[in-house]
Amino acid sequence: MTVSKAFWKITAKNIGTIITYSIILIMFGSMNMSGNSTTVEYEAVRPNIVVFNHDEERGITKKFLDYLGENADIAEGYEDDDELKDALFYEQVSVVVDIPENYSQDLTFGRKPELRLRSSAGYVAEVSKAMIRRFVTTAESYAALSLSENVIVEKLDNALKTDVKVEVRGAVDASRYAKATRYFSFANYSILACVITIICLIMTSFNRQTIKKRNLVGGIDIRKMNRILLRNSCIYSALVWLLYVVVGFIVIGAESLLNMHGLLYVSNAFVFCIFATTLAYFISSFVTNTGAVNGIMNVVALGSSFLCGAFVPAEYLPEGVLAFAHVLPSYYYIDANNKIMLLENDNFDAIWPVLLNILIVLCSSVVVVIITNIISKKRQKIA
Amino acid sequence: MKNVIDVKHLTKSYKSNKAVDDLSFAVKEGEILGLLGPNGSGKSTTMNCILSLLKFEAGEIKIFGKEMAPDAYDIKTKIGVVFQDVAVFDELTVYGNIDYFCGLYIEDKAMRAQYVEDALKLVGLEENKSQYPKQLSGGLLRRLNIACGIAHKPKLIFLDEPTVAVDPQSRNNILEGIKKLREDGATVVYTTHYMEEVEILCDRVIILDHGKIIASGTNDELKALAKIEEKVTIEIPDLAPEKLAGFDKIKNVSEVEYDNGILKIVYRKGKNNLIDMMEYLKENKIHYNKIFSERPTLNDVFLELTGKELRD
Repeated sequence: MTVSKAFWKITAKNIGTIITYSIILIMFGSMNMSGNSTTVEYEAVRPNIVVFNHDEERGITKKFLDYLGENADIAEGYEDDDELKDALFYEQVSVVVDIPENYSQDLTFGRKPELRLRSSAGYVAEVSKAMIRRFVTTAESYAALSLSENVIVEKLDNALKTDVKVEVRGAVDASRYAKATRYFSFANYSILACVITIICLIMTSFNRQTIKKRNLVGGIDIRKMNRILLRNSCIYSALVWLLYVVVGFIVIGAESLLNMHGLLYVSNAFVFCIFATTLAYFISSFVTNTGAVNGIMNVVALGSSFLCGAFVPAEYLPEGVLAFAHVLPSYYYIDANNKIMLLENDNFDAIWPVLLNILIVLCSSVVVVIITNIISKKRQKIA
Repeated sequence: MKNVIDVKHLTKSYKSNKAVDDLSFAVKEGEILGLLGPNGSGKSTTMNCILSLLKFEAGEIKIFGKEMAPDAYDIKTKIGVVFQDVAVFDELTVYGNIDYFCGLYIEDKAMRAQYVEDALKLVGLEENKSQYPKQLSGGLLRRLNIACGIAHKPKLIFLDEPTVAVDPQSRNNILEGIKKLREDGATVVYTTHYMEEVEILCDRVIILDHGKIIASGTNDELKALAKIEEKVTIEIPDLAPEKLAGFDKIKNVSEVEYDNGILKIVYRKGKNNLIDMMEYLKENKIHYNKIFSERPTLNDVFLELTGKELRD
């Protein structure tokens, strides 16, 4: 009881550290979200089209003119050819369409009359031409069936009303989870900073030779005391995780986290908290000065965050840096977040790469525990 | 009185250097035993072996009649230790520190609160209880160190040089506190290299050098080992050389030193030393201002036994 009490009193004394790193996470995690969002917004563009109709305004030709009117702005007043060329050059007009005489009739009888198209160089012109091609191809398809002009117009009416819905699932989901990914990847820094600072400060205090001697002569089993400290350290790390998950829900929004993706993000963060705890114990096993704790924490937390892509996306990092980052558990934690973002399915095969990363972080924790135990046992030889 | 501590043939070496060499002694219930010796004499090593903080090659240590071991928690609960180095948490207040260390022994919250208050009162830190260690002076910090070691009211207390680098006021406070602990029934083992403290506090003294006991007994018993009876200091502003030479011829005088108007005379064992000296002053019409006599100190005993000063 008294050991736990001291643990939490020391933690409370350093509450400023936890608040500071949480604010850093909220500030910079949120900033990154807007800065690196992969959401692409498209603005609908209505091209300017000039039409010279040499056919009668009836049948398929009328339908074509209506179609163009629905999908583009029909520019008027361009009578002079030079003026038209200038307009095309400066992309004031995307396409100039010349509808030949008897266009509707020739199309109906399958003669495939050609529209004369002149276009500017921009992508809007390409979109406009694609739009025109769509009409022509559709009309020619119906004409090939030897349908009457009226039936073709009717069929065109229905066919052109049907929007082609294209969904690029990966891109859409990635943008949806970009916020969560940035937040949890940046949390690499905050989790390491909070967990290492507090646990190391506490363990360094308890491991100080003078305090240790006094504890050793105390009426409590030193192994029991170590177990209490470990238990409280785990509780502390779990609380840090919980705090960042709750903050994540507020900052990111619950809709992005209340699903399989969210479960994977928070699970990944939880396992990383376990790793941070073992790392804090490892550092405590050789650091005897509380003054050195902040320095070491900065090297570990900032270093791993820079190298593994918590601050700068991994794709911008040099190959050499990335190769080195592969030995750091932070890399697998951040990489897992990126993989979660791109997940398209919830089945095991899709999730497995994420689980593998989480497993690597977990195994790293076990390795750190083993090394820490070896160091501690060597140090326990007091005489 | 029964023995609280029994140490038999304790031997502890650091590589080839014997820090404690076949040491045997006992501490009786209710006494204050002083372990006196210069730095490196083996005092702290002996204490650490008794407390099972150090392994030792040979010997047997019993506390309260039971063999001491690292996991002898039934014994440890009755022991309080004040180490030479201040052992407190910088992050906890004065009260928090005492409460923590007391809590290692006393689980009952109400009882512990009372014990902590008693400890604060004993060392005179009631007004500082909400301060942090870094806000305390060196002397107050030492007092806190003591309070942390004795708050649980142990029956046996080890104090390892608790007054090192402490101001006189704090030192007096600490020494008074230790006397009070003994009055309350505690047995105290007090290690120091300050002979004055041992003379004031201890019922019995063990003098160590190079890990061996070179003398032990009460203050008087130890002083009886000294070959000198007393040391007399006389303030004589003007003393002619022929008259100075005459002091050597006074009965029992072993050493005469005159410097800067101060005459120091060391007497061997014998009686009526001062009377003979006063007669010589009168006969030779030597004018003097002040005169005072000192008994031999433990430092003199140590000097005679080892040929060096305690603080060397």
